[in-house]
Amino acid sequence: MTAKKHTIPETAKFWFSLDNAAKIFPAIITREVTTVFRLTAVLKQRVKIQALRKALLLAEKRFPYYKVQLKQGFFWYYLEHLPMHIPIEVDDRPCCRKFSKGELLIRVLVKDNRISIEISHILTDGGGGFEFLKAILIWYAQACDKKIAGGYNFQYIENQISEEEYEDAYKRYFKENIPPTVKKTKAFHLPYPVKPPPRFDRMNVTLSLKHIKRVADEKGVSITVYLVSVYLFTLEDIYENLGTFKKYKKNKVIRVQVPVNLRKIFPSRTMRNFSLFVMPEIDTRLGHYTFDEIIKTVYHQIHLETDEKLINKNISRNVGSEKKIYVRSIPLFIKSLILKMKHKSLGPAQYSGVVTNLGKATLPAETEEMIDHFVITPPPPNDLLKINCGIIGFGDKLVLSFGNITHSKAFEQKFLQFLENRNIQVQVEENE
Amino acid sequence: MIRCSYCGVELEENANFCSLCGEPMWNKNADTLAYLKSRKLQQEEKLLTDYQKLTGFQKRMLFWKISGLILISGIITALIIDLVGNQAITWSKYPITAGLVLYLNTTLIAFWYRKIILLLFFSFLATSVLLILLDIYAGNTGWGMQLGIPLLLAGYTGIFVFIFIVRKTEQIGLNIMAYALIVSGVLSICIDGILSLYSGNTLHFGWSLIVMVSVAIISALLLYIHFKLKKGTDLKRFFHI
Repeated sequence: MTAKKHTIPETAKFWFSLDNAAKIFPAIITREVTTVFRLTAVLKQRVKIQALRKALLLAEKRFPYYKVQLKQGFFWYYLEHLPMHIPIEVDDRPCCRKFSKGELLIRVLVKDNRISIEISHILTDGGGGFEFLKAILIWYAQACDKKIAGGYNFQYIENQISEEEYEDAYKRYFKENIPPTVKKTKAFHLPYPVKPPPRFDRMNVTLSLKHIKRVADEKGVSITVYLVSVYLFTLEDIYENLGTFKKYKKNKVIRVQVPVNLRKIFPSRTMRNFSLFVMPEIDTRLGHYTFDEIIKTVYHQIHLETDEKLINKNISRNVGSEKKIYVRSIPLFIKSLILKMKHKSLGPAQYSGVVTNLGKATLPAETEEMIDHFVITPPPPNDLLKINCGIIGFGDKLVLSFGNITHSKAFEQKFLQFLENRNIQVQVEENE
Repeated sequence: MIRCSYCGVELEENANFCSLCGEPMWNKNADTLAYLKSRKLQQEEKLLTDYQKLTGFQKRMLFWKISGLILISGIITALIIDLVGNQAITWSKYPITAGLVLYLNTTLIAFWYRKIILLLFFSFLATSVLLILLDIYAGNTGWGMQLGIPLLLAGYTGIFVFIFIVRKTEQIGLNIMAYALIVSGVLSICIDGILSLYSGNTLHFGWSLIVMVSVAIISALLLYIHFKLKKGTDLKRFFHI
């Protein structure tokens, strides 16, 4: 299906409802669980602020549907056009801060040689946000007098913004009459106590893409499968080293949530949320898993679960419940209450950690020349999850960003120790 | 190109201030950096007066202490004048009782500002006691129990409903006036009913119905203006399902 018509969403009348994945977020946002993620481009030179302003103005014109605020309707939240510029701020305050009422759901942060964007998950996912950052960087390069060859995705043509870019793509791939999925059991969670607020810390780890590719190739798997396996192996190690009573109390299945960018499976150009998850798992009741066994099972589970038909089943389950008339006709404040209660049991209770990999970033060569590396910081984890991890590659650098809300750094240390034992050099920066 | 010593971005050669953080352009050294940091803090401090720096609770405590001081000194003054003039407590029992009940109410507001149900419940109890006492002082005709407390209950319920609606309202404007009118209309029906029961022992509504119809029309008009003409909101997006 091609785009139906061209519209100009930059008018006071412009509004759209939240996409299927975003519907849960307004109900669960708190000062600490902000559902805001950050994408950072670390440049080789200091940021030229005038050039960045020019680039952002172009980006605002090209992606007008990102200039929206969250509003409360009677039955649902919705996003409404807000005639404000996307703010450019100094990056000297805590990372992934919550957006307030009456604010846009996106901000640009700058310090020294880093350009970051922080976006609320209500608006889009890592895939959509990264396309936005790429567009800013390309225009930034142009404003710095670099010649950019044509043919990249987001050229600006006035008044020609395809509706497909701001549609709810889940609805497009929804199919009727698909059987429901089975609810998963509760998963193991890290035993560390949560810090008092402000509690969100991050640790960025840079490794050589070549080195990690070498060890992944040795096992015949992708980098994602390899790192997810390391994550599971580390969790298994922590579980096995617990005292007998704690071990008895904890859930026995270790499961990691791995977001999948659905734009790579379905031909969609949406710039809003369009991702789902696969959840590879190991069951500790079946005995100790060696690393090779974990790699094998993760490889198969990820391939099995990213099957187009299975993904379709999950989309249909999610969208199907949103389409039911009795769900739709519940007033918003009751809906939010129910969502808040259901979120923990249906969401983070089912998995022990999150590994989100945006893959290897590519841009036009002239823009790439200016960039040293990228970082993705996933939204601050909640009380159950405690730690999560975002991964992105660029050039020969793969950057892992661990978000952590506990005092303990044991998980990260074990994870990195594992990599170092395989001759992968790691370079650690905390809270950068 | 020159560089901002606070946020580290590059600026046009002739810039006097950083367009990102607003800091003046100086040479970067440890002293400058420390000065810039303390200047930023000072600026943030300056924006607030001493009163603004207080938390909501501290402000309410201040209000409670001042009102307590005024009320208690008023009570004592009335008592002394009465005792000196009449050698007994005569008229001063009215201001003393009223003052004490008022003090109780300010205490409730100061400490239970957020617990609106508890606040209104105990405030209602205190004011009911005041009405009964006033009734007893005036010869115990029974109006306190039969007329005063039902009217008070209607009033408190009205206030509670109104506060609840205001707190739930996202955008405050003409709609608040409309809600206030509707609540007062309903209140006048209650008053009319209670008065008719007290005076004639039958439930009869007269003048209040005219009030209700009038306020309903005006409120509908106000609500229409608020929701329809308010910038940006149309009913379709508000009620999309």
